[in-house]
Amino acid sequence: MTTDDSENVVRFENVGLRYGLGPEVLQDVTFSLPAGSFHFLVGDSGAGKSSLLKLIYLALKPSRGLISLFGRDIATTPRRELPAMRRRVGVVFQEFRLLNHLSAFDNVALPLRVAGVRKSDIQKHVVELLSWVGLKDHLDARPPTLSGGQQQRVSIARAVISRPKLLLADEPTGNVDDRMAMRLLHLFEELNKLGTTVIIATHNSHLVEKMGFPKMHLDEGWLEIVGADTDRASVPPASEPGPGGGLLDDGDDDGTRPDLEKLF
Amino acid sequence: MFTRRSDLPLDKDAHSRFLPWLIAFMVFLAIMAMAGMLVLNATASRWDQGIRGTLTVQVMPAEDPAKDDARLQAVLSVLAQTPEIDSYETLTDDKLLKLLEPWLGPASGSRDLPLPRLVDVELKTGADLDAEVLSRRLAVRVPGASVDDHRIWLKRLVRLIQTVEGLATMVLAFIALATVGTVVFTTRTGLDIHREAIEVLHLIGAQDSYVAGQFASRAFSLGLKGGFFGLLLAVPTLLGIGYLAQQMDSSLLPDVTLGLVHWSVLAGLPLVVSLIAMVTARMTVMKTLSRML
Ligand SMILES: Nc1ncnc2c1ncn2[C@@H]1O[C@H](COP(=O)(O)OP(=O)(O)OP(=O)(O)O)[C@@H](O)[C@H]1O
Ligand SMILES: [Mg+2]
Repeated sequence: MTTDDSENVVRFENVGLRYGLGPEVLQDVTFSLPAGSFHFLVGDSGAGKSSLLKLIYLALKPSRGLISLFGRDIATTPRRELPAMRRRVGVVFQEFRLLNHLSAFDNVALPLRVAGVRKSDIQKHVVELLSWVGLKDHLDARPPTLSGGQQQRVSIARAVISRPKLLLADEPTGNVDDRMAMRLLHLFEELNKLGTTVIIATHNSHLVEKMGFPKMHLDEGWLEIVGADTDRASVPPASEPGPGGGLLDDGDDDGTRPDLEKLF
Repeated sequence: MFTRRSDLPLDKDAHSRFLPWLIAFMVFLAIMAMAGMLVLNATASRWDQGIRGTLTVQVMPAEDPAKDDARLQAVLSVLAQTPEIDSYETLTDDKLLKLLEPWLGPASGSRDLPLPRLVDVELKTGADLDAEVLSRRLAVRVPGASVDDHRIWLKRLVRLIQTVEGLATMVLAFIALATVGTVVFTTRTGLDIHREAIEVLHLIGAQDSYVAGQFASRAFSLGLKGGFFGLLLAVPTLLGIGYLAQQMDSSLLPDVTLGLVHWSVLAGLPLVVSLIAMVTARMTVMKTLSRML
């Protein structure tokens, strides 16, 4: 294990987490994720996947241990510097957490707006990204009027719109069919190729096997990385899309790969 | 497509609907207290200036009216020898009658009435003349001559006015406090209602000031709305009071009209209250959010 944080986007050292006075839901979790890696986070329901992700996206403080993000120890980082770090992390929440009073468009635009991006620059990106996830006709729809799968896609679009350095997706394909799931995973994969470190928590072992990325396995609060050939982590076994291959490219293997250069 | 709506649906909050009404009421009260204060203040300072350097010497009519002039001359010669006195002027009978008009009515034109002679005395600026001493010196030469030192009773009046002013200031302070309390309560409720949305904003990297700004501008606009309404109610009320005061015999009342400066101060009150609301909302949100990681 390396202690050089400049290489590691996320590093946990003996991290424990308990809610209130309850038992530890995470125990002595130690790992580090190099920049550009792609991991699946697997484990039974209640194993602590969401809790682990919450620690990474700075929604929770660990009960013990050390967490560093982008090479900075969270515990010693001044509070006012955390928002800037959070902006480099895209999160797909398990329960979506869309703002119900805002349209799909405004929900996706939110991270850019919060970061102070000019409106004129936002418009095009948001529309293109929402179109790509198949919601071109629902730009103005409020989340409560969308289906579960549609809401999920809005929340994915919101997570990736600012091209985060680190993407955390909690069960991002739970509400969509396999074809859409594949399409969304390809979006993550393309982002990963552009340098984004990705962690996807999922129950869908079929997808995990198919994609072939290393697994972080959580079992009763203990974490183990399986297939952790970290050198290989950033080079997925999935077939490379041709240069310029993407959404609009008919030569693409299954026509579901986004052309991120165009999207962002 | 880009809705102008803010990220938090604060404009739909039912609990904050009463805020403009409350602020309207507060601003109304504040304007009343403030207007009273301004009038009293102007009156007090006018009186204060008026009395600072003046005395009145009163020479009671003697039994023999023929001696009156000699008595007056004796008094004037004493005044002329007093170094603290700058100038003095005997009031003509016409002026005297005019002063008495409010009490005796215009019919008092009969010159037969034995009237005291009054001498207006101006002191030198900064001179400290003991009215008692002067009074005694005069009484020795001219029995029945006395000094009416306005300063004593006017000083009391001014002190009374200052007390009332102090009370009005306290009323204003209470109004400010009540506004702060109401806004804190409303903002806290808003924070609770929108907890989920605020948390999401927080997690996608919004600065505390981003969220606080939305609450602050909401409080400001509600405050301005209410404040403007309060002003709208207060203006006719003040004009009405002013009109009534003018209808009364004004020789007994101080001048109670408000100047342009006063009106603009009053018109600024809604803005002041809105700013108080804005700053309060902002501080409340910042304080609450600082508890989040
Ligand atoms: N806010 C909370 N307060 C108390 N306990 C919690 C809280 N959130 C989670 N837990 C507990 O922590 C444990 C791990 O929960 P977590 O949500 O991390 O599991 P998970 O692996 O994401 O499960 P799933 O696959 O069903 O989403 C569970 O036992 C759960 O009861
Ligand atoms: Mg979970």
